[in-house]
Amino acid sequence: MDEQGAHAFSFHGNWRDYAPIAFTNLLLTIVTLGIYRFWATTRTRRYLWSQTQFIDERLEWTGTGLELFIGFLIVLLLFGVPILFLQFGMQAMIFQGYAGAAGVLALLAFAFIFYLSGIARFRMVRYRLSRTWWHGIRGGSDDKGWAYGWSYVWRYLVSAIALYLPVPWAMMSLWNQRWSKMSFGPYEFRADASSASVYWRFLLFYLLPILIVVLFFGLMSMMSRNGALFPTHEGDPIDPRAAGLIGLFALLVYVGLGLVALVYYAKFFRVAIGGLSLSTLDFHFDARTRDWFKLILGDIALVVLTLGIGIIFLSYRHWKFFVTFLDASGEIRLSELTQSTTRAPGQGEGLADAFDIGAI
Amino acid sequence: MTSAGPDAGIWHYDGVSATRHHPRLDWSADGFSLDWGAGRSGPHPWGALVPIDGTGGRSVYGLRGESGWRLGFAGPPPADFAVHLPLPARYGRWIDRIGLWRAIGLFTVIAAGVVFLVLSAPGWIAPYIPRSWEDRLGDAIVGDFGGRLCETPASGAALEKLRRALGPDVPIRSIAIANVGMVNAITLPGGRILLFDDLVSEAKSPDELAGVLAHEIGHVRNRDTMTALVRQLGLSVLLGGFNGQVGGMVNGLLAMSYSREAERAADRYSIDALRAANISPLPTAAFFDRLGSLAGGERLERATSWMASHPVSAERKAAFERSAVKGHRYAPALTAEEWKALVDACTDDPDVRKKGDFF
Repeated sequence: MDEQGAHAFSFHGNWRDYAPIAFTNLLLTIVTLGIYRFWATTRTRRYLWSQTQFIDERLEWTGTGLELFIGFLIVLLLFGVPILFLQFGMQAMIFQGYAGAAGVLALLAFAFIFYLSGIARFRMVRYRLSRTWWHGIRGGSDDKGWAYGWSYVWRYLVSAIALYLPVPWAMMSLWNQRWSKMSFGPYEFRADASSASVYWRFLLFYLLPILIVVLFFGLMSMMSRNGALFPTHEGDPIDPRAAGLIGLFALLVYVGLGLVALVYYAKFFRVAIGGLSLSTLDFHFDARTRDWFKLILGDIALVVLTLGIGIIFLSYRHWKFFVTFLDASGEIRLSELTQSTTRAPGQGEGLADAFDIGAI
Repeated sequence: MTSAGPDAGIWHYDGVSATRHHPRLDWSADGFSLDWGAGRSGPHPWGALVPIDGTGGRSVYGLRGESGWRLGFAGPPPADFAVHLPLPARYGRWIDRIGLWRAIGLFTVIAAGVVFLVLSAPGWIAPYIPRSWEDRLGDAIVGDFGGRLCETPASGAALEKLRRALGPDVPIRSIAIANVGMVNAITLPGGRILLFDDLVSEAKSPDELAGVLAHEIGHVRNRDTMTALVRQLGLSVLLGGFNGQVGGMVNGLLAMSYSREAERAADRYSIDALRAANISPLPTAAFFDRLGSLAGGERLERATSWMASHPVSAERKAAFERSAVKGHRYAPALTAEEWKALVDACTDDPDVRKKGDFF
């Protein structure tokens, strides 16, 4: 089967068709005190997957709400109990004068949680691939992600020690490592994106805060030349220039930093997915910064104008965005695309859920 | 035996390879089979078919026990084939069985019951938790407070005098001054009250300290710490279903509103205890006044009161003021020597750990 010219992926969904799913999900989630949200996620994915076409056939989501719920319960037991104990135990240790030991324990706990959040990222992808079917064939991984968890810890540790300058390298190599362990049918994914090309945009993000601070103090010292800018006595009126300066600073921090982060992420996803291939299929992702910007701006407008209700449509919007800009080129021989032999994980993405790791 | 196909509107994946087949369908009352020339599947009983919903207007079925096996129709399946097919699941098996609106009604009733239980049960349960458990829990948490407890024979006697005056029949296990630089007092599980040294040294009179201590004794009598612990546990479990942020926020707000109610009750106990001990409530009222100005004045405090753990200081001050009887001669809570012993307890105790925060 050859795919040239037209997009290999297309999305046929319609928000009016999705609305009944979204609203009943919201209603059921509220009246079940949140427990229905696992089934809600499943219904949403079933809809989104079934409206996503790859070449000649729609995708199919076979995950169940029960799986996600069980994953959640397991994580609750694995973490809830130790965290509860740690909270009380830590308090007792501090009260009794062992603040140092409590600190070491907290550090260990933090490192362990960091390790698990790495594993969570790996397992989320594995679970999703194992529940995604196309032409009666599914994906998966034979790796359980333990090694990935360590890789995640040391790469970010090294990055932190080197003042976060190697973060793009850490992100990209982890992306590559994660996807290289995944497969679909008999084929393993190959991921060999390089972080070199995203580095400039990262530097922009890295240097902007420094620039903002320098600008802030520069402007402040310039303006203070003719009289104190900030009131020195209680009750003094606030200089309007000072208020303006603080406003400008806040704007630069929130909007400026957010924008530059978007500039970086846009490139990161293009490069990361661009380095991904499966057998003879090469994947591409074409969303540019302005597309991401429009997506986020639309998200904000939707949520604000609907007084928050619009949140229930965000997963729909994000999936549509992802599929619209995803493409693949190459050839796929259906008769050679045989069933995956990987073991499908028994429960859902409880770990990722616990760490609130969302993902496209 | 009835047949349909082969045509482009009926397709089949065998779950072994991705090749798409267009089979001929043969069926009878017992079951069905597929035949696409190069291979066949079946016969299978009708019960083995699993409907797979949400496939964009098409009808797709799986086969129990054979993952990846799919039978699809471009629209609805042929009518006399369809009569044998189960309906696709929609909201989830249980909800489909009783209907969406009935399920919502049922869930609402259950949810209301659960919320009511979790919010009110701690008040019923806490009194039945054996004192000995609570004592052990308190001891495990506090121990000797890292050697920060200040005690001299004279300060011990003064605290004992206050205990007898303000909480003669309350199961208090210890009242102690801790060498901590905070203007505060806390009640810990197991009937243990800790007065932080700065509260004692910044108090203007023993009467003021007596008011604060009586408030803490009120917490011990009402078993508020245990109730709060049980409630916190219940709320974390209940709100675990929501995602972290929403749950944490609701949890915090609910816990705080219950805590305000407990604080008011402890204040009422304090007012009664001061009256019974013939100690003037006015110094305590003045203390709340100072506390209120520390918190940024009444207006700010009122604006943020819905998320505070304690009631607004001005209200508490007014309640203590109202309880004062005009013209009545109150007795001081402690003699000058006893008061001095309390103020100096931390400097006079030779083997106490020196003042500082916890770290």
